[in-house]
This record gives sequence, structure tokens and C-alpha cells, in this order.
Amino acid sequence: MTTSTTTKTMRQSTLETMGLGTVLDMFRSGKLPVLTEDLVDRVFGPADDRGSMVISGANGIVGAGKTMQFASRLIDFGVRIVALDFPGSPDGLGKQYPGLVRAFGKDGAAKIMGNVVQLTYDGKSLPSELGQLNPRFLLEAIPEILSIKREHYETFRAAFPDIAIRSVTSGFPSSELGVGISHPAFPHEINKIFEVVEDEPSDITRLMWALGLIPLEVSDDWAFVLDVLFCGITNAAVQYHQASNMPYWKIDKFVRRLAGPNPFRAHDAIGAKGANFLTWSCLHHLGEQYGDLFSPARQMLSHKDTGRDWYPPNHFRPMVDWKLDAEAEEEFNTWILGPLYQMTSLMVAEKRSHFAQLNVIGEMCAQFRKGTLALMRAAGADGVRKTVERYHQLFPAAADSAWHPEILEQIDSPEWQQLYVNAECDGETGVITLGRESYNYDIDAELNRAIDWLKEVGVTSVILTGDFHLTTQLVGADTSEFYPAIEDEAAGTRVSNDWSRTARRLADEFETSVGVVTGKRCLGGMLELMLHCDYLIGADETRFGFPEVTLPVIPGMEGCHWPIRKTKGEGRTKVLQMLLGGRPISAADGVGWLLDASGSVEYVLQTAWSIATGGDHGITRRTIETGAIKDLPTEVPGIKPGSGATEEARRAIRACVDASCAVKLSKAVDVQSKHSGGFMITETCRRGIVGSDYTKTMKI
Amino acid sequence: MGEKARIPYGTWGSSYFPAWQTSALAEVNIGQFAGESMNRIMGLRGVPVGELEYLVIGSTVPWHWKFWTAPMIASCMGHRIPGYHVEQACATGLQATLLAAGEIENGSSDVVGVLTFDRTSDSPVGVFPERREYQRTVPIADVWDNFGFDPATGQAMLATAGNAARKHNIERLEVDEITFHRYEQYYEARSCGFLDRVLVPLDILNVQGKPLGTIDEDKSVRPITMEGLRSMRELDNCVTSGTQTHAADGMATLLVAHKDRVQDLSPRPEVDIQIVAKVEVRADHALMPEAPSLAVQKLLTRLDMKMDDIAVVKNHNPFAVNDAIFSKMLNHDWTEMNKTGSSLVFGHPQGPTLTRVIIEGLEEAVDLGGGNVLVFGCAAGDVGIAALFSVA
Repeated sequence: MTTSTTTKTMRQSTLETMGLGTVLDMFRSGKLPVLTEDLVDRVFGPADDRGSMVISGANGIVGAGKTMQFASRLIDFGVRIVALDFPGSPDGLGKQYPGLVRAFGKDGAAKIMGNVVQLTYDGKSLPSELGQLNPRFLLEAIPEILSIKREHYETFRAAFPDIAIRSVTSGFPSSELGVGISHPAFPHEINKIFEVVEDEPSDITRLMWALGLIPLEVSDDWAFVLDVLFCGITNAAVQYHQASNMPYWKIDKFVRRLAGPNPFRAHDAIGAKGANFLTWSCLHHLGEQYGDLFSPARQMLSHKDTGRDWYPPNHFRPMVDWKLDAEAEEEFNTWILGPLYQMTSLMVAEKRSHFAQLNVIGEMCAQFRKGTLALMRAAGADGVRKTVERYHQLFPAAADSAWHPEILEQIDSPEWQQLYVNAECDGETGVITLGRESYNYDIDAELNRAIDWLKEVGVTSVILTGDFHLTTQLVGADTSEFYPAIEDEAAGTRVSNDWSRTARRLADEFETSVGVVTGKRCLGGMLELMLHCDYLIGADETRFGFPEVTLPVIPGMEGCHWPIRKTKGEGRTKVLQMLLGGRPISAADGVGWLLDASGSVEYVLQTAWSIATGGDHGITRRTIETGAIKDLPTEVPGIKPGSGATEEARRAIRACVDASCAVKLSKAVDVQSKHSGGFMITETCRRGIVGSDYTKTMKI
Repeated sequence: MGEKARIPYGTWGSSYFPAWQTSALAEVNIGQFAGESMNRIMGLRGVPVGELEYLVIGSTVPWHWKFWTAPMIASCMGHRIPGYHVEQACATGLQATLLAAGEIENGSSDVVGVLTFDRTSDSPVGVFPERREYQRTVPIADVWDNFGFDPATGQAMLATAGNAARKHNIERLEVDEITFHRYEQYYEARSCGFLDRVLVPLDILNVQGKPLGTIDEDKSVRPITMEGLRSMRELDNCVTSGTQTHAADGMATLLVAHKDRVQDLSPRPEVDIQIVAKVEVRADHALMPEAPSLAVQKLLTRLDMKMDDIAVVKNHNPFAVNDAIFSKMLNHDWTEMNKTGSSLVFGHPQGPTLTRVIIEGLEEAVDLGGGNVLVFGCAAGDVGIAALFSVA
């Protein structure tokens, strides 16, 4: 694909769906495509006439979360948040305060809360004080009743004709409401994703992006992508319950093991009364439009009407366990995956969003370990067809509509094959973008394909970075990929070895490679990956760290020797402090021994481009020690004594450092992998976070 | 008894009956366990519990929240339907089945669940006001104090066995031989896989959701020898600890449905199971083991049938004396009954005992290609109950 006269891409960048160009454009221009200050001016007016943002229904679960999210982000731009609700509404905002204190400290939280103006109204006439606050943008989060919403918009438009309005609705399409939609995902105070429905990418959407949120353009439908997946998998689970009698709590565990979500627990955690209604409503509308694939199961109606939890009450904690033999488990998988594949085929056929966005919504908003497009890709077109056909045998009503097997012909397209990793290039300079916060086998495969593609088109210098959209941070390896390794040392060794060899391609197969990190943090496996680039540059606000010791696991992508080989003296001690202490550092603190430069985002973009294009950047390329290292520091100061498990992990990491540094670079991958795989079958690992997650998720 | 009610073949199952205090069942609310287990068993049998319209439960030992009876148990089963609780000591399982059939016959429902259960372990202790005692209250341990004292006669159940053995001139040797034979029958049914069609292993979780135990055997049942039986001390005439049953915990369930629904519910709808008739009698003062035989005599008389007309004979026999008396009164070879075991061996959780006996009897008849199934037993108060099922 060619997006401009000089830029080639493997597939469209998701940034382009918001009219923000490509990632390569950013590097080439040396700046972000839009500035937050400019967007704030455009949405809220200039600084001397700054308007406010109104969130109506602010004490509700959505309203309160979004009030905190926007208040904390807009405070520095002088934009006040008006939290509007009925008198007597339960205090949803006050409940947010402890979380604010945890995130911003007491002073920061007080300052943010001070930026929130709470007003009450009777639902019909707006309070007089509101005019003084000059509202420019209304984010409506009131109950899901169409007539009330419409009346609400008219009330605001009558008082403030130029006000921009967005609804957080999950229940109505934009065409019914007459306003744009910014549908957020749970948990609302921290989830950055918004499904956005609008005719053209707007300044409001771009502002959300500039504020570090993740707006995703989706098409206008009765249920957006997230709700199709979340409500759909819930309904599938209920249908399985009807067919098998298996209790909801146990179905939840099998669904989690199979795909990741806990649909029933999620409803209870969100609040069954509201969540049951929304899910039923979504399914009801989808069922009317698409047929029985979506028609709410009988129990959905009952749970909607009563608002009761799906899990049994505490005094009836489950007593009789359920197991599935191989045949029954295959049938269970069909009951769950069949409808998921079918729903996804519908959304692909209707072009509801960019493939990467369709996929990531499931992961970031509905707990899927892998998005449904990634699941279908792994199953293969034939596998998907067979599963859906088997599902239709079990549930014939679903066969009548909304199945689009023809979309499977696209399964080998770059759009479907590169769900997480994209590559762009301009002549001999390329950019690889990572669209997933944690590294897994999908990323690994896509990264290899991206490297292959860049080499095929003649790229000699490459920048590796996040995609400036779906990844706001790079948190490390996806630890669910380690599950097989908890009981199989060879699996652990293999994952370490495979991923390390991919990382080495960055060091070995380009004349120059530059790792660029601009998000909130870069940790663990993602840091190890970035360290394989010839240069590593970070934005000032980015934190870097090796948290493996806290999990505990042993860094598996050469973290135990690669950064040590790239530095000397005091730098080696600092690397060991990171590895053994687990505490992250700032980009600036890492310059000279872990990173090569840090600065503002613009500086990072410009410097990386300069390095990649052979410009004058003034940064010396560090070499890597390819021989055995004999003078490792024996003492590592500043490490506080930890628990027995932590000390055990430290000894194991140190042993890996000593062993992998004691051999030549060419042998070090195997040494590191052996240590990493070997540790994952130890009792220490099994009792840690990864092992516990494995037990909780897989041993059911 | 009626034209409409059927027991759909295969829509049934029982837990194993671990002896009291030997399993995880000693630590659970048996009502909740029964409800969840019925759901599991029906799931394994391919019957969505959503098909059920009504639930008749039966138990004899009080359990926590018993006030809420069948609706509570139905909620534990996962399907909110009405129902009620029935209790008639050891006849509970058979009575519950017959009452469920009544619900079909009277047109109230088309699919009725029968769920019987009891936990004799750690039975609750009731404290009753009693003005005739100087303490003004009397605590009664529900299981053991009741076993030991029939207020109508002042005698223990065990004593009724001794009384009946004396009345019918039963010999100790024959009682021991019956017992030995019953164990052989049980082990044969177990080893040939017959019991796997009836009994369902169940995994029990503790309050943390972690495994508490698996109920996968009639725990404490051990092979027995004739020498061992012969050497046991008599507790009463012809009664030793080896020739009587033991208290146990467990549940058993089956469905009764309108004949038009059998097609939807049963894996073998061509098997037609009907309830033909039932009678009850009460034996004379403290002669409980005689009562079942009297009931069978009455049943056969009313149906104008003979024992030769019966294909499968199954009973609840808390004392081997029961079978010796039956053999004598009905002139029926005691080796030709209870061919897959009986409660004398596998234990007696009271409520579900006769339900399991019914299920075993029906399975046995299906193996034979059909025939009449006679199910009978004794119950507290010197009562005998007998019913006839036909399998075609």
C-alpha cells in the first residue's frame, strides 16, 4: 500500500482513521500531527475565552469515571469540568477520590477535584451558573432512554447553540440520537478506549488522542464492536448453560481458560442490575436486526428483569464441581467460539472498523487474551468454517443469518496478518510499529513478517516504536504465553529462544536500528526487544524497568546479558540493580548506559529520524561486547532484602547473568533460554504471580 | 395408577452413598449439594433442567434452610420452579416418586423432578419443649436418638428386627448367608459396570472453591467373609453389626414425565416405564421387618398377581432379617432378588435409599428386556411400602 508519493506501508495505520497520517510521517516531520494546545483551543476556545466540558449523569459509573479521566487531563489547559446530575444522586464522584489519590497523590487529587464543578438540575432546565462556565462540549452519560436523551440534547442546544455533544451510549446508534458517540469501555476511570462514531474525524476525537486516550473510529450501529463481542460471548455462554446445565460460575472459568473473558463475573462486577439490562438491550436490538445468533437467551431476560447477579450469593458458594472430558470440552469450545467467529465475520463484512481496532477492542475492553481476528487467524479459514458449521448443528437457529464465510478469503491479507505490527517505509528508512502493549507469539510472528517486508523493499535503517495509538505503553511479555512453560521446561526454553532470535534480527539485519519509546513505560520483554536496536531513545516521561524479579521470572529475551554487553563499569552495576531490584528508572537516568538519548517527544522523533536517515545527530553508537565478560560486578549496592521468593529469584537471575555473560554472544541465547525455561518450572515461579495466574486460569 | 405418567428411561442418577462421617458430604449443606448434583446429573444425562416444571424433594434429616424446601433446592439446581417436600422415613424415595407421578396425572405439570437426599453425618440436634421433663426441654439428635426409640412402642429399630426374627423363627445362619450373598451381588454389579450406569461421581468444593473431596464410592463397604459374619456378636436375635445396614449420606434423583414428553427427554424413548400400583401396611407392635412382606402380599392380592409375575425384585433391607422373612412369607428364593445389591450393603441415607433402589431395579429390568419391577421396603413406625413398576 502507498499512502503518499514516498511512503509505503504494509497496511493502513490506525492513526489514519483519525486523519492523523502515518507514524512515519511523524518521524519525517519531527513532530506530532496535532498539538494538544491547538486542539484544546479549537474545542474549548482560546485561553482568554476558555470554555468548559460538561459531563451529565456525572455520578453514574460511566460519568464519574470519565469526569476523573478528563478532569485530570484537562486541568493543565484551564478547562473546567462541570459534573451535572440530579439532586440526590448517589455520590459517584466521591468514590473516585481514593483512586485519584493513589494515582496523583493527595495534593494532585485535591487539585483535580478542585477543577470539577458539581451542579445539579431537574432534568429539564439547566442551572443558571452553567452559562458562566461557558460550556463548549457536552459528554452525555445519562440513562439509556432515547426520548430523555434527545430532550436532553435539545435543552443544551437551546441554551448553548454551538455546543458539541457526544453520547457515551452503548445502546443507541448515532443516527437515532442525532449526536456523535464516544462510547467508553469499563473500567471507566482507567480504560482509555472510546469507540467513536462520527461522520468525519473530529477535533474532539483528535483531542482525546492527544490527551493520551485511545479513540477508535467505528461504524454506526445498534451495538458497537465492544458490545457485539461482550454481549455476544455472554449470550453464547448462557446458551451453553441452557444446553448443558453447567452453572454460570463454572462456564465463566471455562470461557476464561478458552478465550480470556469472565462474562458473568464482569456483569456482576460492573453491577448486574445495569449491566444485565444493557446486555439484554444490545442483544435484543441485534437479534431483531440479525436473527437468533444474537437473540437474548431466556435467562438473559430473567436476569434483565430482576437485575440479579449471575454468580450465586456468598452463602451458596458453589459446592459441586464440573469437569469436561475431551469430547465435552470440544463441544463447549464450539458453543463459545462458533458464535464469536460468526459475529466477527459479520463485523468484518460490514466494515465496522479497522481490522487492528476490531481485534484490539476485544483485548483491551473485553478481557480477550487474543482478539477475535487473531483467534480466527490462528484457527485458519477452514478451522473457522468447521467450528461455525459445528455450532450451527448445536444451535441451528444461528445458521439463518449473519454468517459471512466469504470474509475468510481475506485471512491472508496484510490487514488480517498484521493486526499488531505494521511497517512503513520511505526509501531506505523504515518504521516498525507495535500495536500491542505486551509481547506474544502473534507479535513475534508479525514482527518477523514486518522485518521481512522491509528488507524486501530495500530498507536498511529501521525505527522500532509503538504505534502512537493502540499502545500508550509497552508493558513487557504477555505472561499468559508462559502458561505452557509452567509445566514444560522445553516450552519455556522455546519461547525465550524464539523471541530472542527475533529480537536479534533488529541488531543483525539492518545497518541501523533505533528503538523509540514515548509512552508511559517500557518494561520487561518490550525493553529487552528495544535494547536489541543499535540505539535506544526515550521520551522524558517514559519509565524503563525489568519487573521480572517481582513476578518472578527470569528475563527471557537476553535481558540478563545484552544490556550488560552494551555498557561498561558503573553502567553494568546499574543494569544489575534494575534486574535484581525490579525498580524502574526514568529515561533521563538511563542515558549513557541503558539508553542513548532522551528528551521531549519532538526531540525523540527528530533524533531517531536523523539517526535512521544518516543525519547529524551527535550520538555515538555503542558497541556490543561479543566475547565473554569476566569483570562483572560482584556487589550490587542498593538492593533491599526481599521475601524468600524474591531472594530466590534474585539468585536465579544473577546465576543467569553470570552464565550468559561468561560465554560468547553467539552462545548466550541458548544459555539465557535454558535458565529462563528452567526457572519457570520451579516452585518459586509457580507460587508467584505468573504461576498463580496459570493455576487460576488453566487448572480449573 | 394412571395413564399419563412415565419415568423416562435414563433420566436418573444417584450419588454414591459414603458411610456417615467418612466423606466430604459430612461437611456440606446436603440440600444445596443435592440441588447442584441433580443439575450435574441431568446435564450428564442430556436433560436441560429448564425442561422441569416442578420438583418433589424428599429428605428425613433436617438441613439448613429446610423451611424453604423445594424452591430453595430448585434454585441450587439452577432452575427456579415450585415444588414441595415429602418425608416418610425410609419410604421417602418411593413416596416422592409416586407423588411426582400424581402431579403428572392430575395435569399440573408435564415434567417433574424427584430429588431425595439426606445427610446422616452430624445430624442436627433439636431442642424441644417438653413439659413432662423436669428440664422442660429435651435435646434429640435427629438420627441416632430416633433410631433408638420409637415413641409409639418405646423400642429401638434394632429391637424390631430381633422381635420379627423371633416371631418367624428365623435362624442366624440363614441371616448370615443372606448377608454374604448380598455382598457378592453388590460386588458383581460393581465389577461388571452395572453401577456405573446408576451412580455418578461428584467432586465437592470447599468454601474457597478448592477440592474438598470426591464422592466416588460407597465408602466403608468392604468385602465380607462368611467366617467374619459367623463370628460377630449378636446385638439382638439374628442381628449383628454385619447383618444390618449402616448410616450414610447421599442423594438420588429421577424424572417423572407425561408420556408425550418422554421422546424429548430420554435417550431411549422406546423404553416405556409405568408405575402400576402401590400399597402401604403397618405391622403389629415393633415388628417393622415384617411390614414390607405384608405390603407385598397386599399388593399382589390387589393386582391378582403372583411372585412369578415379577421380573425384578428389589427392596430396602436395613436388616438381613427382612429378606429372610420375605422369603418365608412370599415363598420366594432370597437369591432371586436384589441382584445388583441392596441397602443392606451400600448403606442407608434414608431419603434417597429407595430412589436408588428404584433406579437399579429399572436398569435391571431394561437389561432383561422388560418386565415387572417390585420395589418395597420398611419405614419407621412398623410401616411397609411396596410398589410395582412395569418396563416394556
